[in-house]
Amino acid sequence: MKNIFLAEDDADDRMLFEDALKEITIPTQLTVAKNGLELMSNLETVTAPPPPHVVFLDLNMPLKDGFECLQEIRNTSRFKGIPVVIFSTTASDDAVNKTYEDGANYYICKPRSFQLLVKAIETVLTLEMWQAPRPPIDKFVLEIA
Amino acid sequence: MKENQLSDAIRELAFQMDEKEKRAAELVIANKELVFQNKEKENRAAELVIANNELVFKKKEKEKRAAELVIANKELVFQNKEKEKRAAELVIANKELIFQNEEKENRAAELVIANKELVFQNEEKEKRATELTIANKELESFTYVSSHDLQEPLRKIQTFATRLIADESKNLSDKGNEYVLRMQDAASRMQTLLADLLTYSRATSSEQNFEKTDLHIIIEEVKKDLAETIAEKNATIEVVEMCDVHIIRFQFRQLMHNLIGNSLKFSKPGIAPHIILKSRIINGSEVPNQKLLYEKNYCHITITDNGIGFKPQYKDHIFKLFKRLHDKEQITGTGIGLTIVKKIIENHNGVIIATSDLNKGATFDIYIPQPGTEPHRPG
Repeated sequence: MKNIFLAEDDADDRMLFEDALKEITIPTQLTVAKNGLELMSNLETVTAPPPPHVVFLDLNMPLKDGFECLQEIRNTSRFKGIPVVIFSTTASDDAVNKTYEDGANYYICKPRSFQLLVKAIETVLTLEMWQAPRPPIDKFVLEIA
Repeated sequence: MKENQLSDAIRELAFQMDEKEKRAAELVIANKELVFQNKEKENRAAELVIANNELVFKKKEKEKRAAELVIANKELVFQNKEKEKRAAELVIANKELIFQNEEKENRAAELVIANKELVFQNEEKEKRATELTIANKELESFTYVSSHDLQEPLRKIQTFATRLIADESKNLSDKGNEYVLRMQDAASRMQTLLADLLTYSRATSSEQNFEKTDLHIIIEEVKKDLAETIAEKNATIEVVEMCDVHIIRFQFRQLMHNLIGNSLKFSKPGIAPHIILKSRIINGSEVPNQKLLYEKNYCHITITDNGIGFKPQYKDHIFKLFKRLHDKEQITGTGIGLTIVKKIIENHNGVIIATSDLNKGATFDIYIPQPGTEPHRPG
């Protein structure tokens, strides 16, 4: 059972994510946060062993955005090893570079079809990010096709 | 008596002798006197001759002088007339000067007013420029935000459409299914449009990191990006001659992508696209374009294709935002590509000229200033 965290302020996207997860055969346990503050408190309270396999992190969120969450995770000793995959609508150079510098593991542009969304989540779940070193910057943005 | 008479006669004779002698002596004296007087007269006459000569000479001199005076007089009369004429002219000229002076004062007063007006206009223009800068920045950020933020709901429309097709297709009529497909088609056009707008907004952003760049590298990158289309259309991209150019790299890559992409897109049906790329350093004086500076060197890049081209009257129109020459059904596009190209050229202080004719291919001439190069003059 893989323990997955999602921070996503958009209800449609949360629904699509949950639906996509159902299409994947890998057994998972999803913890959803509607904003950055909720995510951080989820990490505090729900991080009973096993630790999260991965955090899917949206960037544009109210109260505390994805950039702040990422920094906080990497600056907190008991969270800093948790793999973080950025899940955003667009991949502007600024956002990609900043999140890479701040220690995110991968960056995914939210796909425009449900089938690709399933594939994206599946791809992330099969990556062994706890053990493997971070990819170089040119492999940082995961292309899902 | 005789004796008396004789003595009387002798006395008379003696007297007469005496008288004669006296008379002779007097004559001698008188003669001497005459001789003297004669000499005197001769002297006087000689003097008179001299004096006469002198007078003749003086007279001649006077006549000469008189003649000269006549001439001089005439000259003076003439000069006098001239001076009077000149004086009259000066009076006129003076009047003219006074008039001109007044005019100048009037004009100066007008200039003071005009100057104030100009100062005012200048201030207005500066104000306007500041407003424009602000408006421009707002527009840029608006373009960025809208193109970025609009992608989000669009992506959902697209994603839900894929779910409709995948899961609900059987519950929809044929018509319903077709509507979904049309919806997807429209959504994907909007996606391209927003992506292009985002690119445009990035092209207008103020990043100005100029680097000396080998154009080969840029072209190779673009060829990789477009590899699929190049293969599909069996296109040839010929790089004839290349020079280094000072450019904002990511923008220039975008520019080349758009231009080469266009050459591939607007190819003649059934004819493999042949694109020729050339670049060389030239002097501004070699090209009859007033936007190019005579003393400056430019990298002249030419992109020529064998595509469908366009009518010459559209050579400027094609660079305008959202302007297209073809039906959407015929050739897809958003009408932003060449606007981005133009914007990027402007960012480089360059010039771009499109030349074409219908079915005769198209040529794009680009001139990018070469910094730090000493102007060379032909010849």
